[in-house]
Amino acid sequence: MTILELMERTGIKNETLAIAYIKDAIHLIQSNTKEKIKVNKQNILNASDSDDNVYRLPADMISIENVSILDTSDKRYKRIKRLSGQPHYLLEDTQP
Amino acid sequence: MSSYVDKEYFYYLRGRELLLYKLLGSRNRTRITQSGILQSYHNELMYPDENITDGLRIEYTALNDPFISESFESSTGYGTGTIFTFTASNRYIGTGINNWWKDHGFSEGDKIRIQGSTSNDGEHIISGGVGTSISGSASTIDLTSASTLVDESAGANITITQVPEPDTITSPNTTSHINLNKMLCLAVVDYVKAMIHEERGEIDKKEYYMKEFFSKLADNESNKRLVSSAFPISPFAVR
Repeated sequence: MTILELMERTGIKNETLAIAYIKDAIHLIQSNTKEKIKVNKQNILNASDSDDNVYRLPADMISIENVSILDTSDKRYKRIKRLSGQPHYLLEDTQP
Repeated sequence: MSSYVDKEYFYYLRGRELLLYKLLGSRNRTRITQSGILQSYHNELMYPDENITDGLRIEYTALNDPFISESFESSTGYGTGTIFTFTASNRYIGTGINNWWKDHGFSEGDKIRIQGSTSNDGEHIISGGVGTSISGSASTIDLTSASTLVDESAGANITITQVPEPDTITSPNTTSHINLNKMLCLAVVDYVKAMIHEERGEIDKKEYYMKEFFSKLADNESNKRLVSSAFPISPFAVR
């Protein structure tokens, strides 16, 4: 369906507004279902200071489907579990 | 070397960040040499203690390529076989069979995804037929200059699929197609109607169209799950 067809079906005259609404709708669809999946890969670092375990979530992410780690011993990505709460820090220092 | 990562790694979500932890006392390290020790209930956690290239993989939904240049339903080009040869110097993909590209639903300007190739997997855009057009009887195509190929002989079992070509997000126009199937496009129509009624303050109509929107979303999902189940019948049931 083209943008023009959608504008005719809805009676909307403003093209920019129509495009904005369409993006909003796709956003809502992606938030509720899994219409299109993207994959983001990042290097894991050998932690040397207290924020080296912090990784940035993709900026265009709407919802996470799963998180996995590369098992280099058999070259497969394996899904990992989410912690429901942040662990209590015994030591923030990396060399206790 | 990482192993048993599914049992040893955990993540925690903090706002726009993902915090990665590794189980202390795993088979890879002993407690004496640990660094960054953390405590979670009875299990101690620490920061990752190894470098893994592309080690963290996040699958997610995103607002990517909302508009495409060709309708989703007409992107049906598909072909597979062991006939494909790749020529790096002029970005040719040959099949040796006249009309192969036309017969399999491809045309000039299509975006294609190559899978199964030894070194040419990826997405490319078809520039045109070589010697003659695709709608003529071309057996070989060339790709746009944006593509880079590696020489490869026929033999690998390769699949070539047409994928929707995105319109630039910054400049979609009225002729751009929405990157959704027909059912979800109709859901988008309901969403836009709902927003129009919301602007007018007609909340009851807005609610009606939002209900229609979610109904079509649900239909679209359930349409993929129309599966039948077969139950084995016990031989004692035979009469």
